[in-house]
Amino acid sequence: MSEGLEPAALARAALAIRRQFLRMHHEARSGHVGSGLSAIDILTYLYSEWLRPNDQFILSKGHGASSLYATLHHFGKLSDAELATYYKDDTLLPAHPAPRGVAAIPAATGSLGHGLPIAAGMAYSYRYLRSTDARVACLLSDGECNEGSTWEAALFAAHHRLNNLTVFVDANGIQGFGRTEDVLTLEPFAKKWEAFGFDVSECNGHDFAALHAALAEPSTHRPRCVIARTVKGKGVSFMENTVDWHYWPMNDAHYAQALAELDRAESESFR
Amino acid sequence: MRVDFVKAVELVLARDADALFVTGDLGFNALEGLVAKYGKRFINAGVAEQGMIGLAAGIALTGKRPWVYSIAPFATYRCLEQIRNDVCLHQLPVRIVGNGGGYTYGIMGSTHHALEDLAVLKVLPNMQLFFPCANDQVAAAVALQAELDGPSYLRLAVSAYSTERTPLSEHPLTLTRSYATRADRSKPGVTVIGAGHGVQVALRALAAHGLDRENVDVFGVARFPFRLAEDSALLASLLETKNVVFVEEHYAAGGMGESMKLALPQFTAFSLMSASYRPDQRYGSAAFHMQQTQLTPEALVMLVQTQLRAT
Repeated sequence: MSEGLEPAALARAALAIRRQFLRMHHEARSGHVGSGLSAIDILTYLYSEWLRPNDQFILSKGHGASSLYATLHHFGKLSDAELATYYKDDTLLPAHPAPRGVAAIPAATGSLGHGLPIAAGMAYSYRYLRSTDARVACLLSDGECNEGSTWEAALFAAHHRLNNLTVFVDANGIQGFGRTEDVLTLEPFAKKWEAFGFDVSECNGHDFAALHAALAEPSTHRPRCVIARTVKGKGVSFMENTVDWHYWPMNDAHYAQALAELDRAESESFR
Repeated sequence: MRVDFVKAVELVLARDADALFVTGDLGFNALEGLVAKYGKRFINAGVAEQGMIGLAAGIALTGKRPWVYSIAPFATYRCLEQIRNDVCLHQLPVRIVGNGGGYTYGIMGSTHHALEDLAVLKVLPNMQLFFPCANDQVAAAVALQAELDGPSYLRLAVSAYSTERTPLSEHPLTLTRSYATRADRSKPGVTVIGAGHGVQVALRALAAHGLDRENVDVFGVARFPFRLAEDSALLASLLETKNVVFVEEHYAAGGMGESMKLALPQFTAFSLMSASYRPDQRYGSAAFHMQQTQLTPEALVMLVQTQLRAT
């Protein structure tokens, strides 16, 4: 992990990724905009600071695929030509990650609750079968912590002391048909992960210094869980904290307003 | 078949350093030797079948080749989506092993019967199914599975009608066995095909119920997708008799019989003996269930005779 974290540089990268992401969704008229915006800062941190060449990342919240595509593109792991095919016929970049689609995405996801078991299996193999120091990160949505398979994998990871596994939960508090607290209460969420045997930190998932600090805790024999408190639709005021923007595509006016808000945020932050 | 499987998979583990064994907390009194010998290459995933298949897929993504074991209904239904998404869509060499196919676990009750396992798995992309006819075919099936780069399923079972009959021949790749050939190829005959341990019904009928007095060829098929073009003896029999009785310890819908019928020329007469779930279902030994669903050697002989009279 880099010692000299530069939050301003990360913020610039995240802005560029958000612009790319919005352009992709506007062009494609595709939904899941809010879910991607909540994850982009975590993805930016991961790809800029955390992931080393042999580490693996599993996007368990597969509906955030476009935010991952935009991030991979920003960090040179997807070409312009590849990204240009997003959501079009004959693409390897559909709305949810495809199996064996692109090298940087090892697993197809989209049905929730699949990513953590896969990530735990990879971490087990790296630690005990391959004896490498490769690490595995897995990004979950909070909604998919409704899935029993997520907790099956949590039991497995803790039992086998997979301290090479880090779980990030993009805890934006909203799932398919409402707020997580109204659908199926997850709180006390951190205590649940602790009780399952994880080292847990909670932080603002849009604050790079906070993410950095959450991961800077000394490593123990336990797997780690970072509950990143996020805002669904982060960065675009009319998308923030709504269920609607899980589903809606943007029209031209939405897109123009969203870009204007990013421009304004940039000029205010980097004056 | 479980004993034969453990012996066969031990050979694979000894030979292939990238192979490992995962169980869903089952295998008492059978797998203890593997635990002692293979350390971290033996994983008990706990009573957590979805997680078990998912983690096996994750391990396979790192270049390993896991064998994943549970009883047949548990290894297939709860975790079907993990088998589909995590294993089959990724074309991973995860070898799923279900012990107790068909009515093997008779008195354990319906939850423990596996009568749809081949149906739900056969439709999955890249999946290959192995269902040995007898204990002495398990090693060959395991050896073939061990060579595959993609997903496979092994159905282990114990037939209520188990015999010790030695096959006349076995195809090395399709695993199709010939158990009996017609006395007179110029006369009308019937091709009896058993799927996996379902063939034991026919073998018992040959040994003790007079099926040997009829003009029948008896084959056991043990692998799906079928490769009829390579199965020259079976193909020749089908073309000559145009008359098939198929036996399987599995529901008719989605079973191997249904697929076999589709693979045959349209003019072939085809009867299917299969399992059923009755509104007045009662429970007992595997033999009791076979009787209840009329999957018996006596019923097979009658069906063959009826079909011969019709030709």
